[in-house]
Amino acid sequence: MHPQLEVLLQIQDLKAQKRELEEAGGGRQVQEEQFKLDVPAALEALDGKIEELEGDLDPPVRRRYERMASGITRVVAPAINGTCYGCFVSVATSVASDRSERNSLRSCDNCGRFLYFVS
Amino acid sequence: MVLREFFDKDVVALDLQGDSKDEILKELIALLALDEKSEGILFKMLKRRENLGSTGIGRGIAIPHCRSLVVNRLRIAFGRRKAGVEFKAIDDHPVHYFFLIVAPPLEVSNQYLPVLGKIAQFAKEPQVPERLAKLETPEEFLALLEEKSV
Ligand SMILES: [Zn+2]
Repeated sequence: MHPQLEVLLQIQDLKAQKRELEEAGGGRQVQEEQFKLDVPAALEALDGKIEELEGDLDPPVRRRYERMASGITRVVAPAINGTCYGCFVSVATSVASDRSERNSLRSCDNCGRFLYFVS
Repeated sequence: MVLREFFDKDVVALDLQGDSKDEILKELIALLALDEKSEGILFKMLKRRENLGSTGIGRGIAIPHCRSLVVNRLRIAFGRRKAGVEFKAIDDHPVHYFFLIVAPPLEVSNQYLPVLGKIAQFAKEPQVPERLAKLETPEEFLALLEEKSV
């Protein structure tokens, strides 16, 4: 996996965690009631970590990430069985199968999201 | 939906060896049989959740959990460490029983939170820690879930 993709994935997972804590009921309620989590402190910690990881992105990747992040919630989409799960359009076969291609930082030709190949 | 549906005996380990939170998390992750890179990412995510506040909910039970793109469906595992491990649990007692839950960020079926809630509920059932302590086979663990019908 491309190291920058790994950073992007972590940012995205942390943002998902954050969204879940921000929504009243659901995730927030479970975290507060079952795990006695201090939600405001947790949100602050998540923000700090997200910012730190964003700082690890190379400038060109960061620019693309920021452009996308302003419009969509998920900038990395899983590619499963040759389909981008961001836009549900099939990913070019050469991209989906070639191992060296898989290890480079690839984006979906259709929606522009960074692709994470799930096997 | 019942918890039993989400487990099979391959994801039940009654003899974990780790002596620290990190070692236990790694052993639990290994039960999911992911690739090495995914295991590494998942470990970091679980650690970050633990750093926000321990998932040790008391009575010797912890429920490490997170969402991550490294899985494409809800995944669960159960592990037991007879000797107990310091996990910074709510009641400050060592943890012996671990339920690992991982779900993708977006799930069509939305099972993650209900399952998390059900496991927390299971953990509060009378006699559960005592019964978990006495398990001898993964099959007995599955039978216990069925019996409690959570
Ligand atoms: Zn796409």
